[in-house]
Amino acid sequence: MIAGRLPSTALPHTFPGIALFSSNSDRVFSGSLAEPAAFAPLDSILLAVGILLSAGLFFWRFAPILRTILRSKKDPNYKSSTIGKRVWTFLSEVLCQSKVIRQRPLPGLAHAFVFWGFLAFALVSLNHVALGFGHGFLSTTGVAGRFYFFFAAAWAMLVAISITGLFIRRFFVRPLWLGEKLSYESGVIALLIFLLMVSYLAAFLVQDGGTAARLLWWTHTLTLLIFLPLIPHTKHLHLVLSPVTVFLKKPGFAQIPPLTGDEDFGLVAGKDLTQLTSLQTYSCVECGRCTEHCPAATTGKILNPKEIILGLRTYLNKFGPHSDVPLLTESRIASPDNPPAKYLSMEAAFECTTCGSCEFQCPVGIQHVPVLVGLRRGATNTGAWEDDYGTKLFLALEKNGNALGLSALERDKFIQKQAFPIFDGTQEYCLWLGCMGSYDPKGREIIADFARVMQHLGTSFGVLKKEKCTGDPARRLGNDLVFQNLAETGLKSFEAAKVKKIVTICPHCVRTIATDWREFGIAPEIEHHSEFMARHRDRLPRQNCESIVYHDPCYLGRYRDVYEEPRSVVKQAGTLVEAPRSHERSFCCGAGGGLAFLGEEKGERVSHVRARELAGTGAEVVGTACPFCNTMFRDALPAVSEHPPQLLDIAQLTARALSASQPEANPPPEPGGAQ
Amino acid sequence: MKIVVAIKQVPERDAPLRIAANGRWIEEGDLTYTINEPDAYALEEALQLREKQGAGEVIVVSAGPERVQSTLREALAKGADRAIHIECDDLDSRDTLGVARILAEAIKTESPDLILTGLQSDDLGLGQTGVVLAELLGIPHATIIMQIEPTTGGLKVKRELEDGWFQHVEMPVPALLTIQSGGNKLRYATLMGIKKAKTKELKTVPAAAAAVSPAVSLEHVYLPEKQKKTEMLAGSPQEIAAKIVEKLKFEVRVI
Repeated sequence: MIAGRLPSTALPHTFPGIALFSSNSDRVFSGSLAEPAAFAPLDSILLAVGILLSAGLFFWRFAPILRTILRSKKDPNYKSSTIGKRVWTFLSEVLCQSKVIRQRPLPGLAHAFVFWGFLAFALVSLNHVALGFGHGFLSTTGVAGRFYFFFAAAWAMLVAISITGLFIRRFFVRPLWLGEKLSYESGVIALLIFLLMVSYLAAFLVQDGGTAARLLWWTHTLTLLIFLPLIPHTKHLHLVLSPVTVFLKKPGFAQIPPLTGDEDFGLVAGKDLTQLTSLQTYSCVECGRCTEHCPAATTGKILNPKEIILGLRTYLNKFGPHSDVPLLTESRIASPDNPPAKYLSMEAAFECTTCGSCEFQCPVGIQHVPVLVGLRRGATNTGAWEDDYGTKLFLALEKNGNALGLSALERDKFIQKQAFPIFDGTQEYCLWLGCMGSYDPKGREIIADFARVMQHLGTSFGVLKKEKCTGDPARRLGNDLVFQNLAETGLKSFEAAKVKKIVTICPHCVRTIATDWREFGIAPEIEHHSEFMARHRDRLPRQNCESIVYHDPCYLGRYRDVYEEPRSVVKQAGTLVEAPRSHERSFCCGAGGGLAFLGEEKGERVSHVRARELAGTGAEVVGTACPFCNTMFRDALPAVSEHPPQLLDIAQLTARALSASQPEANPPPEPGGAQ
Repeated sequence: MKIVVAIKQVPERDAPLRIAANGRWIEEGDLTYTINEPDAYALEEALQLREKQGAGEVIVVSAGPERVQSTLREALAKGADRAIHIECDDLDSRDTLGVARILAEAIKTESPDLILTGLQSDDLGLGQTGVVLAELLGIPHATIIMQIEPTTGGLKVKRELEDGWFQHVEMPVPALLTIQSGGNKLRYATLMGIKKAKTKELKTVPAAAAAVSPAVSLEHVYLPEKQKKTEMLAGSPQEIAAKIVEKLKFEVRVI
């Protein structure tokens, strides 16, 4: 039988195990936590029934979700290794709330206080319930107990203030990204949390063992019991799932998994969603950070990364994890039969620039890019995606081996004109031109200038006789056939030419060769020209005349974690100005994910938004480090600004300084000599 | 509707061409091959006809050495139902009639409702194979077709004439049509298509008719020669004009 707990003063040594916390001293009226005097057996029974009911309701609601996740496809590529890294991510993103705070400092901190408060409160809550069965283990009078109760009280105050702040934000300030619909359940949850804290704090102000203490104890208990079953079907499910999601998320950023077996074409239907993806959809807390930073969503496109994830959740709830119903719909008219149609439409999926800011921002470990590219793979690999531009691009890649659809002879002519040496194994670097460097007029200027920089440094290099696209646009648009063919061709050509080191001007090429090709073989070491020039910057001329605003390309920044190298190159050439959104939060130019080849987008152009931001800094020059960003801004800057800043790649900035420094100084020849 | 598409495999457009030692053809050693472009449109037309009708079969046929199987597989990947490879290592020693004969032999047994082929090949550009094939099979044909519309018991086709003119023709089936490039939008090959193609039938049959001495043969193949025969004519405009007329009359003999 469960005995009701008697006041510790009356029976000081009932529980020898916790005698440490007991004290015989007299109660002080305030300054310590008041607890109900005694629990009648009826109380304990009521409590037990309440707990069973609450937990039962919780599992009744949670079990189907858990079943959906577990019954989803097992991921054959999932590796649970890298535990150290996982623990570190868990510490940083869950325990320290790094992603929650970093992107939204004030509400983030408020959230963190609630979270930390919950952690501090865990022991108090456990003791609280145990008390109902006469097994309280924290003494209200012992030193340790008192200390802990006060510690928890401090947190309770922070939690109460924070949750009030968050409540005001959600219901009165109403940021756009939380969605149009007010979530009343969030209000109820906030109220419950507030009640939990207040009922705890109030117990410091009432008499120990009194009716008020008893009332408060039951208020606190009931709030807890109501709170629990509310978790599974609201976004507060993230309390349970997101720590797991963050711990289990796949290593690497925006990693596209290899397809396995003859039946895997990407995310075609529910049966293709892996357990991890399934878990991620249920972990979404609907904070909208992904959408807030999405270049498509913020320029009036249909794509909304949050709704993509929630759409998948709706799909799973409706059709289950083994369904053959296509995930993407042709039409974006939602119907009762297909509620996520608006967001899980073909059109939405192909509006993604794969800039990755959604995945980068997400505080609960959702990996959006593999999902979005997966949806495209499902559509493209099965031929369901019909788009004139897309088809033209794929045919150009099939036939001509470059995204611009030009004859390879054009590249031959360019190489001849520039007198680029052909790589023959004796040179240190293979200079990879890429489609833009080979065929685009501006890309060619960048390559030519970078070649001059290499020559100035005396670094030997050669270009491949024949070069085909790395397959980046095909990869991101979900055409695995074209991508695989190009990747295999590329790997062979590097092997045949015995290339050891590659350098290029295009971050997309770098990413695709270094990461995406790995499915088919190991490519030689590759680096971006910003990394190369930063390493040699001591031997490159300084020029300090202009203000230059640097635009972080997504595929160099978020994808490769290279932020400082290009900046150091910019600083050689002028005064660095930062854009309002820079580094990890840089805003896409609109070209990524193959979108550069899909024609003009609907609504406001992403490139114009970014160009306006860059021009708005008042800098005289916009410095880029990606030929695709460059081509986007080439059109966008004159469209948004009457006196547009000059547009130069960092290689062009350096080459210009080179020209300026040479006639006056005639520097001594570098080792190897400038050619 | 049972549709046969006759396909030719040709060197890729950007392939660096070298003349073979005997001077009669190009060196085939390290060339890459692809589907003849007008044939790609013929295949596309066939696939779209089948899709529009919701039933039917598309059979691709190609004559040539083993390498043509890659092009046939691509056609299967794009959606053709089965393929027939007519094994023939001496394609370049046959003239149009010779090639059309072996195609006719292989196609006859299929007795299709419609035969489509490109209007000409990217390498030789003779534009004859389809027409001769129709003659051998004893069925009507129409050339340079842009659009096909099935009617009850026949077809309505749109032919491209010169100078922006089109001709609309009604004809019975079975028939043979040679297809012009650009009438449709080509589809891209998909991973699923390639995987499905693996399970589709690719039948190899020997060339039925042995090569007979061709009526037409290729004597000499050469790369365009650069000529530097520029002659500057001097004098007054009248004198220059007179000299030009003289040259056109007696040297170039065009007037």
